[in-house]
Amino acid sequence: MSTAQVTKKRFNLRDKFGDWWENATRTQRVIFRVVVIGFLYALPLLDNPVFGTTESDFASVLFYPMGMYAIMAIGLNIIVGKSGILDLGYVAFFAIGAYTHAIFSISFGFNLWVNIIFGMAFAMLAGVMLGIPALRLRGDYLAIITLGFGEIVRIVALNINVTGGAAGLAGVAAPPNIFGLEFRVDDAKPFYWLLLTLMLLVIWAYIRLIARRPGRAWEAIREDEDVAEFMGVATFKYKLWGFVLGGAVGGGVGAVYSSQVTSIVPELFTLQVSIMILACVVFGGMGNIWGVALGAALLGYFPEKLRFLSDTRILFFGVLMVLMMNVRPNGLIPRKKREKVYDKHSGQEVTR
Amino acid sequence: MSDRLLEVRNLTMQFGGVVALSDVNLHVSEGEIAALIGPNGAGKTTVFNVVTGYYQPTQGDVLLNNQSILGLKPHKIARKGLARTFQNVRLFGDMTALENVMTAADAKNKVGLVASIFGVGSSKPDESRSHSKAAELLTFMGISHRAGQLAKNLPYGDQRRLEIARALALEPEVLLLDEPAAGFNPQEKVELGELIKKIRDAGFAVLLIEHDMSLVMKISDRVMVLDFGQKIAEGTPKEVQNNQKVIDAYLGVADHAS
Repeated sequence: MSTAQVTKKRFNLRDKFGDWWENATRTQRVIFRVVVIGFLYALPLLDNPVFGTTESDFASVLFYPMGMYAIMAIGLNIIVGKSGILDLGYVAFFAIGAYTHAIFSISFGFNLWVNIIFGMAFAMLAGVMLGIPALRLRGDYLAIITLGFGEIVRIVALNINVTGGAAGLAGVAAPPNIFGLEFRVDDAKPFYWLLLTLMLLVIWAYIRLIARRPGRAWEAIREDEDVAEFMGVATFKYKLWGFVLGGAVGGGVGAVYSSQVTSIVPELFTLQVSIMILACVVFGGMGNIWGVALGAALLGYFPEKLRFLSDTRILFFGVLMVLMMNVRPNGLIPRKKREKVYDKHSGQEVTR
Repeated sequence: MSDRLLEVRNLTMQFGGVVALSDVNLHVSEGEIAALIGPNGAGKTTVFNVVTGYYQPTQGDVLLNNQSILGLKPHKIARKGLARTFQNVRLFGDMTALENVMTAADAKNKVGLVASIFGVGSSKPDESRSHSKAAELLTFMGISHRAGQLAKNLPYGDQRRLEIARALALEPEVLLLDEPAAGFNPQEKVELGELIKKIRDAGFAVLLIEHDMSLVMKISDRVMVLDFGQKIAEGTPKEVQNNQKVIDAYLGVADHAS
C-alpha cells in the first residue's frame, strides 16, 4: 500500500467540482450550464488584450483553430479515447465533408444546411467502407491502414477533376443568413456561433451515448476486446459505429470549415492535421470529453496568443507540451473515474 | 439425451502439428457441477476456448440445448447461454464493478445506438434492467459494497467474485469457470466451494476447471479427466480418484525396469 492513500487526500480540483456537481440541486445545475454556455457564446465579444489574441482577429481564432480543433477532437475522441481504435487518418473525414460542401454548393447550389447532412453521410459511408475491412485488424496494423486512408483521400483530391486538383475549389458558398446573422468572409463571429452550436449538439448526443449501453460497450472494447466479445458485446458492430460516428463529426465540421474559408486545396488536409487533432485528444485527456475539448481549445489558442514571438513561439509551444506531459501524463483532465465507496453492511454510500 | 445442456462431440483441435484435443466427448447436464481436471497442458482451457467460439475446432461438434453452436461468433454464443471466467482475471479494469456487470447484462437487451441517443424505445427500461440485474448479482456474490469502485482497484478475491458476477449477468445455461480458486487460501477456497454450490442451486449448470483436488472432489457431481488432449476417465469424484489411469496421469507411471 502506498502511503499516499493512507495520508490525507491531496487537494484535487476535479474531485471538488465532482462533489459539488453531485450534491447540486437541479436549479444549480441549470444555472451552471446556462452560465458556461452563455460565456462560450459571448467569447468573441469579450475580445481584450488580456486573454484575447492581439496579433490576430480573436473571433477568427475562436473559429479556427480553437473551435475547429475542439469539435474535431471530440469526434476523434469517440474513436481513439472511447473505443481505443488508433486512427491516424482522421483528416480524411474532414476532407470529405469539406469537399462535399464545396462541390455541392458550386455545382448544384445546395446550401450549407443540406450539405452538412451530406458531408456527414459521405463521411459515414467512407467510415463504413474503410471500417468493414480495416477494423478486423488491431493496434499498429489498424493505425497504419487509417494513416494510409488519410493520405489516399488527399491524393485522390489532388488528382481528380471534380475536386479541382492541386488548384482546389474556390468560391465555396457561405451559409445562408439565419436569425438575422450574416455569414461574411470578414466576420468570423457567426461561424464561431454556428460551430459552437454544432459542438453542443455533438456533446449532447455523446453524453447520452456514453452513459448508456454503447458507452459501456466501447469502454469494454478498449479495456479488453476479447473479453468484451465473450461477454456478449458485438465488438465489431460497436467498433464500426464508433468509427462511423467519429467520422460523421469530422464530415460535418469539414463542411462548415469550407463554407468559411471559401476556397479549399488538398494541401489543407495533410497528415499534420490528423496528428494535431490526435495531440489535442492526448493533451486533453483521452476518453474525457471535457478534457479533450479544453485541451484542443488551448492547443489552438497558445500558438495564436504567442504570435508576437513570431517563430520562437513554436519553441515555447514545445516547452509547454513537454512540461505538460511530465506534470500530467494522462492529460489535462484525465479519464480516471471518481470512485464511490459503499458501506459493506448498509450498502449506503460512504463520504470520504 | 434431453437434459444435456452442453455437449461436445468428437472434438479434435490441432494447432499446426500439435494436437491439443483429440476426439474428446464431454457434456454438462442440467443442474450439475461438472469438473474438468487434468495435468497442466492437458487441453482444459482449449475446451473452453472452443466451446465459446474463440477457436474453430479441426473436427467435431459443440451443441448447446441440442443445437450446434459451431461457427457462431463468441458474442452470439455468449447470448445463447455460455458464459465464462478466465484463468487469470480479465476484468474491464478502468470501469467500475457495477459497470463491468452491466456490460454483460446489456447483452440481453434490445436497445440500439440511435434509440440510446434519443432515450426512446426500450432505452430506459433496458438501462434500469441492466442496473438492477447488476446490483442484484453483486449482492449475490457478496461484493455489493464494491459497486462504485474501479475493477482494477479491487482486492484479488473480490476481482474473482466480480468475474463470476459478470458471467452470471449473461444468464447462462452453463457457467464455465476456469480455475476460480487459483491464488486463494484454504479458507477462501471453502467459501468459493459454497458459492459455486449456491450458483448451481440458483439454477445454473457449472463446468469447472480446477487444480485444487479437495475442492473439486467436494463439490463436483461428476468429474471428467483430460490428459494430453484425450479424455481418460469420467465418473463420480470417488470413481475418478480410484481410477488407475488418472493416478498415472497425475503421478507418472512407475518405472518397470526397477
